[in-house]
Amino acid sequence: MAEQAQRRAPMAQAQEKSTDNNHAYEELRHLIVAPEQEELAAIEERLDNLEKRTVDVSEVVAEAIHMRRATGDQALANALAPTIQETLRESVRRDPHVLADALFPVMGPAIRKSITETLRSMLESFNEALDNSFSTRGIQWRIEAMRTGKSFSEIVLMHSLLYRVEQVFLIHRESGLVLNHIVAPTVATQDPDMIAGMLSAIQQFVRDSFHAKNDETLGSLNVGELQVWLEESPNAVLAAVVRGHAPADFRQAMNEALEDIQRHFSSALANFKGDAGPFRAADERLSKLLETRYRESPTDKKKPRTALIVGGIALALFLGWLGYVSYLSWEWSRFLGALQKQPGVVVVSYARDGRTFHIQGFRDPLSADPKALVSQAGLDPERADMQLAPYYSLDDAIVAKRAEELLHPPPTVKLAANHGELRAEGSASQQWITKLEERAPWIAGVTKVDDSHLLNSNLQQLYTLKSSIESIVLLFPLGSADLEAGQEGKLTEVETRIRELQTQSEGFHQTVTIDLIGHSDTTGIEGTNLVLSQQRAEQIRRFLLKNGIKRDGLRPSGVGTTQPLRDEASEEGRQLNRSVTFKVSFASNTNATVESPTTSTSTRPGN
Amino acid sequence: MIQKKVCMLGSFSVGKTSLVRRFVDSIFDDKYHTTIGVKVDKKIVKTNGEDVTLVLWDIHGEDVYQKMRMSYLRGMSGYLLVADGTRRQTLEDALSLNERVVQEFGKIPSFLLLNKCDLRDQWEIEPSQESKLIGAGWNVFQTSAKTGDAVEKVFLQLAQAALDK
Repeated sequence: MAEQAQRRAPMAQAQEKSTDNNHAYEELRHLIVAPEQEELAAIEERLDNLEKRTVDVSEVVAEAIHMRRATGDQALANALAPTIQETLRESVRRDPHVLADALFPVMGPAIRKSITETLRSMLESFNEALDNSFSTRGIQWRIEAMRTGKSFSEIVLMHSLLYRVEQVFLIHRESGLVLNHIVAPTVATQDPDMIAGMLSAIQQFVRDSFHAKNDETLGSLNVGELQVWLEESPNAVLAAVVRGHAPADFRQAMNEALEDIQRHFSSALANFKGDAGPFRAADERLSKLLETRYRESPTDKKKPRTALIVGGIALALFLGWLGYVSYLSWEWSRFLGALQKQPGVVVVSYARDGRTFHIQGFRDPLSADPKALVSQAGLDPERADMQLAPYYSLDDAIVAKRAEELLHPPPTVKLAANHGELRAEGSASQQWITKLEERAPWIAGVTKVDDSHLLNSNLQQLYTLKSSIESIVLLFPLGSADLEAGQEGKLTEVETRIRELQTQSEGFHQTVTIDLIGHSDTTGIEGTNLVLSQQRAEQIRRFLLKNGIKRDGLRPSGVGTTQPLRDEASEEGRQLNRSVTFKVSFASNTNATVESPTTSTSTRPGN
Repeated sequence: MIQKKVCMLGSFSVGKTSLVRRFVDSIFDDKYHTTIGVKVDKKIVKTNGEDVTLVLWDIHGEDVYQKMRMSYLRGMSGYLLVADGTRRQTLEDALSLNERVVQEFGKIPSFLLLNKCDLRDQWEIEPSQESKLIGAGWNVFQTSAKTGDAVEKVFLQLAQAALDK
């Protein structure tokens, strides 16, 4: 442009010097340069015209920026940055809504996501804190945290984490370069490239140092709670960083993953030149290895078990208590039944108040001790509150007992009551029998006395005396009313017994009759014999009377030969018939007749 | 992203670890730490507008007590053979080490570093010898982990060479 301007200046001077010549020249020039001049003018005008220039720039501006960016030069960004910043600032100052509206679709989800994430982690830690803080385990862990100086969360993790696979490295075996690296969320890591390098250096170091064979490789490294598990394939090494104690089948999972990768990426592995790009595809396969297992939370398993045990115990206790209570009730009702059957006891009412059984009623003082009955039933007497008022029972057993209390029967007598009738059995002295007869009707409950089965023991003695007297035979010589020599002893015995009999019989209100029976043998005349027999009886009577025997009741008689003691075939028989025998009989003073229960009354001497 | 394994080889105390630290962390520490075994480090560099992750295997220096384990070198894309310019012997050791490496792994991109060039007054390697090495096909660099001289450049070039391989 400057050149054109210079060229234009001399032409103008020439025009001034010679217009004529110049005219032709002008014409020529016009012919030659006119089109260019027009073009130049157009360009000039275009350059001067701001509007046109703007149009021009607008046509290329986008391409220009694009081209400049492609060079990788930061200059454009640097140049634009202040303007853009200023623009944004100005825009916000003028009307914040414009930018806010524009950013809303971006900011909204981002903020929501951020808030959700924050809340989630807050809730998690809150839950965990709740879970652990208030349990005994939580307290133990807090103590452990204080003791070891570790943070509480570390201790919680240490105890509740069974194992967690924190990182998985896929390493190119030859170079030790990382092919892929996967990290569990929230795990802090070091630079994977360096770790992978060091891991393969360590592997090589171990293999060299211990002259291991090719297929013998370093399987794992342990560092405190951390373990690094290593698996090798021909071209790759799979390393898993595990916190805690992974189960053996995790190694199996590693092996399978590694085999899978070796198969899928065999050529990429063999031709690896440092570009890990292709191995991004193994992300999914490796991510599966990132697993975390927590100790089964006690809230999941222990609680129901504990609840079950507690519930079971409670149920068992309840059932036991129920059983015990019903057993007690049953025991008590059984006892009550037995008590009511007890003679001399009347239960009017019965109630249970907690542990105590209240029993109200009446009791004869002679009935069985109810406290003792409680004990006998296997129940606690302390728990029985018995209000039993005393009364006289007319129960047969009690009546009999009462009679015993009052009459003091000798051991040989048995008393029994039956509907008011007191029955005495056995033998007793006359005195006691008298007492029975006198007192029994006064005893409460006794309406009648039956002593028909009661033997008078004194009377028995009388009968004994009677039979001993009746067994004596006093002998006489032939034709004489005087005792035969040697019979005096017998006579004295008879005298003694009779005296005893007379004495004893007085107490029984019995009248004793002693028949002195004289006998004779058949020798001689019958009339004489009868007289002789009478004389003999009389003889003995006189003797007895002379010796102080009471006259009453002595009844001498002679039977002659009519009542021989023996047949007279022998002298001995005849001798026995020359005798006096005795017969004792009793008659009651009162109207009652006392009969001997024994057969002794019919005892007769001889036969 | 492309990754390349690069090894640091050389006698003990020639400055391998210091070079790595200078390169990776831009730090130099005067104290000497013997590397036991291997220390792996990494740095991302940009060559030809492309990011490359250099995984640096700083292998323990070789001496009479511990031979270097060749197994550490497997899969490397390049290495830096480091000698101490103030100790002539380390250069000879480096070269003999290199022979073993080449024998085992073949030709792999590698540079020869004469380190500690900040200690000019104690330098034991004559320029003539350096020329001879260049003549033998070595890329020779005089480096200093202390001052950082040529360190960045060497790693970048090795990354480039490894990529081109």
